[in-house]
Amino acid sequence: MAAPRKAGGTGDRPDLLTAILFVGFGALGLWAGRDLTMGTAAAMGPGYLPRLVCWLLILVGLVVGGIGLFRAREDIAFPQLRPLLVILLAVVGFAFIAEYFGFVAASISLLVIGSLADRESRWREVILLTAGLTAFGALVFIVGLGVQMPIWPF
Amino acid sequence: MEFLDLLMLGFGEALTPTNLGFCLLGALLGTLIGVLPGIGPTATIAVLLPITFYLPPLAGIIMLAGIYYGAQYGGSTTAILVNLPGEASSVVTAIDGYRMAQKGKAGSALAVAALGSFFAGTVATFGVAIAGPMLSSFALSFGPAEYVSLMIFGLLAATVLARGPVLKAIGMILFGLLLGMVGIDASSGEERLTFNAIELFDGIDFVVIAIGVFGFTEIIENLENVEGRGVLVSKLSRLWPTREDFRQAWPAVLRGTGVGTFLGILPGGGATLSSFCAYSLEKKVSRTPEEFGQGAVAGVAGPEAANNAGAQSSFIPLLTLGIPSNNMMAMMLSAFIIHGITPGPTVLQTQPQIFWGLVASMWIGNLMLVVINLPMIGIWVKLLTVPYRLLYPAILLFCCVGVYSINNRIFDVVLAAGFGFLGYLFRKAKCEPGPLLLGFVLGPLLETNLRRAMVLSDGSPSVFFERPISLVLLVATAAMFILMVLPSFRKTREVAFREEEA
Repeated sequence: MAAPRKAGGTGDRPDLLTAILFVGFGALGLWAGRDLTMGTAAAMGPGYLPRLVCWLLILVGLVVGGIGLFRAREDIAFPQLRPLLVILLAVVGFAFIAEYFGFVAASISLLVIGSLADRESRWREVILLTAGLTAFGALVFIVGLGVQMPIWPF
Repeated sequence: MEFLDLLMLGFGEALTPTNLGFCLLGALLGTLIGVLPGIGPTATIAVLLPITFYLPPLAGIIMLAGIYYGAQYGGSTTAILVNLPGEASSVVTAIDGYRMAQKGKAGSALAVAALGSFFAGTVATFGVAIAGPMLSSFALSFGPAEYVSLMIFGLLAATVLARGPVLKAIGMILFGLLLGMVGIDASSGEERLTFNAIELFDGIDFVVIAIGVFGFTEIIENLENVEGRGVLVSKLSRLWPTREDFRQAWPAVLRGTGVGTFLGILPGGGATLSSFCAYSLEKKVSRTPEEFGQGAVAGVAGPEAANNAGAQSSFIPLLTLGIPSNNMMAMMLSAFIIHGITPGPTVLQTQPQIFWGLVASMWIGNLMLVVINLPMIGIWVKLLTVPYRLLYPAILLFCCVGVYSINNRIFDVVLAAGFGFLGYLFRKAKCEPGPLLLGFVLGPLLETNLRRAMVLSDGSPSVFFERPISLVLLVATAAMFILMVLPSFRKTREVAFREEEA
């Protein structure tokens, strides 16, 4: 991450992002739990504490955001999309391929796609590493530890 | 004597070939990830958690514990030799350790660090052995009200002592509590916050969150920070410290051990805080404070002893009260729960072999670590040259297999990827993910006890103030809060953590 630039003006962007996340999840929690019974303090229903926690979360979010508005401006370094997207995609891909085509196929796809995340990757290394780790994983996890996953697609 | 009998029972357990093997494996893994920058003990334990399910309970826990304190040894190696702290807890070791290495005293610094850590580990092991039974018999008298106050105290203290802004940490705890409520409510049987997804009826698995936030997010973050790391390894000289070094080191080791053992017990304490405090203490009591930063032996010995002592004594609240004090202990708690053991005062009585076996294994593990680290130092130094592009695919694969294997379903992996993204957003927002884990593991416990206390008191919150232990804990919590608001304390805290990050 590049050092956050100090520009003029106010608004601490990380704090504002925090506020959005906290308030957002608080509101989401309130909405998801809207039908839960509150109960009383003596006999709390399933909705009592979730609602309390959500309101507290929203409150904390508002305070953090409120203070952040008036603090010296600090920017968030622009996210590099390549590692983020590639890694998340590779992981989700692993799950689906493992389910339908077994460990070997899933592991190869994960490692090959995953190495695209780093610009420094070299193909020869990736191939050797993929072969080695896939063999190691199949032996240790599936044969050795007994993880329930077929090794081959058939 | 009963104490000796129990200790013998522990050694008997820890010395079985299986447990000894996993202790060694944990110590080796811990040293390895301690040496390698970019992988910390939290991420490693998150990855290995699902695997411990396939091991006998004690073996799994011994291994995970070994990783935690082993990382303290490994972290100091890189801090001294290449000025690159492998772990947050060895940041201060790098200050004087690296200077010593530049002056040709690398071997001496390494030996002081390892021997100091060993001494501290031995003392802290005894600390756990003595404090454990005492605290747990005390804790047996706790009712729901005491537990609620204790957890509130613990959670808030953790935010004050941990790094980062307090408000954000409180927010993260609340978010963690909320995540812990997802699933079927234990007392009413109603499902809540599940968005009608059947997969969520059993709640979110701890491993999913831990691997998402610590595994995936860390990989993504490390890949973003591509920086040319010039690795210059200092030449290794003689390993044995001179008599003069010894004379300067041992009082520092003693003080560091004391600081670490004490701070490790506090919520939010642990290795990092201990090493930092020990460094400032050494600087204060030293007759030659100007030497600090220029290669003072005490500046290596004190913090190194402290981080190891702190790592071990942070097990005390977990094992005796069932309350984890930092995110590492939250991981350990879930390692116990995977095997159906709920840590707490009763474990000591119903399953003494677990507690005493772990205590004995800690001492054995420390002994192994001295051997692993001193004579074999050359091997670890070579590992430093392994680039990250060869490491992260392996971590990625372990993470994925680990998450998938919890329930053998796609859903968990996708959810973990989602938490990876969320963790990334939180990093961008400068929120530490540790408190989230604490809130998540303590959430269900807090809710059960709170509801129970309120039922018993017929809805009157006065129960928390009428019971003396509970009252003391709440007063302590309030005092901490007032301290936080006082400007002078806030300033010292900010300075303290800024120095730590420097």
